[in-house]
Amino acid sequence: MQAIEHPPFVSLVGHGIPDHVLYTWVVMGVLVVLSFAASRNVQLAPRGIQNFMEAVLEQFLTLLDDVIGLGGRRYLPLIGTLGLFILTSNLLGLIPGLMAPTSNLNTTAACALIVFVAYHVIGIRKQGFVNYLKHFCGPVPWLAPLMFPIELVSHLARPLSLSLRLFGNMFGGHVLLAIIFLLTGLDGLIGWALTGKLGAILLGVPGGVVMVAFTVGFLLPLKILVAFLQAFIFCMLSMLYIAGAVEEAEHH
Amino acid sequence: MRRSLMLTLMTWSLLSIPGSAFAAEGGTGGWVGPFAVLAAGLGMGLASGLCGLGQGRAAASAVDAIARQPGAAGRIQTVMIIGLALIESLALYVFVIAAILLFVQPVK
Repeated sequence: MQAIEHPPFVSLVGHGIPDHVLYTWVVMGVLVVLSFAASRNVQLAPRGIQNFMEAVLEQFLTLLDDVIGLGGRRYLPLIGTLGLFILTSNLLGLIPGLMAPTSNLNTTAACALIVFVAYHVIGIRKQGFVNYLKHFCGPVPWLAPLMFPIELVSHLARPLSLSLRLFGNMFGGHVLLAIIFLLTGLDGLIGWALTGKLGAILLGVPGGVVMVAFTVGFLLPLKILVAFLQAFIFCMLSMLYIAGAVEEAEHH
Repeated sequence: MRRSLMLTLMTWSLLSIPGSAFAAEGGTGGWVGPFAVLAAGLGMGLASGLCGLGQGRAAASAVDAIARQPGAAGRIQTVMIIGLALIESLALYVFVIAAILLFVQPVK
């Protein structure tokens, strides 16, 4: 159980600071330093770190144009911040001894609640309260008593699924890696091979090599892919929710 | 007849082992805990298997569509990834419940 919980190397739990808050600060530091280095000396022909950050933001802008369409670039601060924060924290969890803030439900729930409040506020500001309430009521007036509870529940399920998806993916990956390390490490196959018995060496050495190759060659690339994919999906769904709140005005 | 008898016996033995093992210990641990482990494992297996079936259908259709219209590959890929994420979240709900059953153990 100790191995599965695998606390990070540096921890301030004794001082009343939970791990995910501490590593959120680390992510914030990384992002602040990157942004500062990119924008310290802005040039027309970007070089180095400014070039890199501009390429990243260009991806966000393309997505925003694709999904929301006209006027979508206004939401770059919200979507870009969420995306960069989630991506950086997902990748932070890949470094052994550090922890991904997104593998704690509190962090992902905070992000999902920000999106939930934001897209309602955007919708209300765009169309007014009454008009915005109207598309909770379905296409025909007499369907409204039926549609309103359904729409309410489906909107309330959005932050739930957003937060649980990210949390489940990150936490699941960590538990998987922890169990593999437990089975392979000094308490598992390799430790068994080190006992020196003939059968243990014959089975433990190839088993350990296969497990290490499997982890490094397959699981870690898979986790990198999942880190990017989950950040992308979080941004994509946030954009879809904003697009739904903004553009439905034209149908009524 | 024999098969159903075997099934009944297997189910009965499966159900009785964790309960009896803990009853013999003297009753400090409840009998729900072992079943929680069982439920977590079985539920995760069922959920990931069925989620794999669903995702396979989605991916197969997407590959089919891309093969027919390679020009629209980008958009199809985006829609497929969103669909896969929505399907996968169903398995992740089960994973969260399994993790709660294993680690938090709300019912002993």
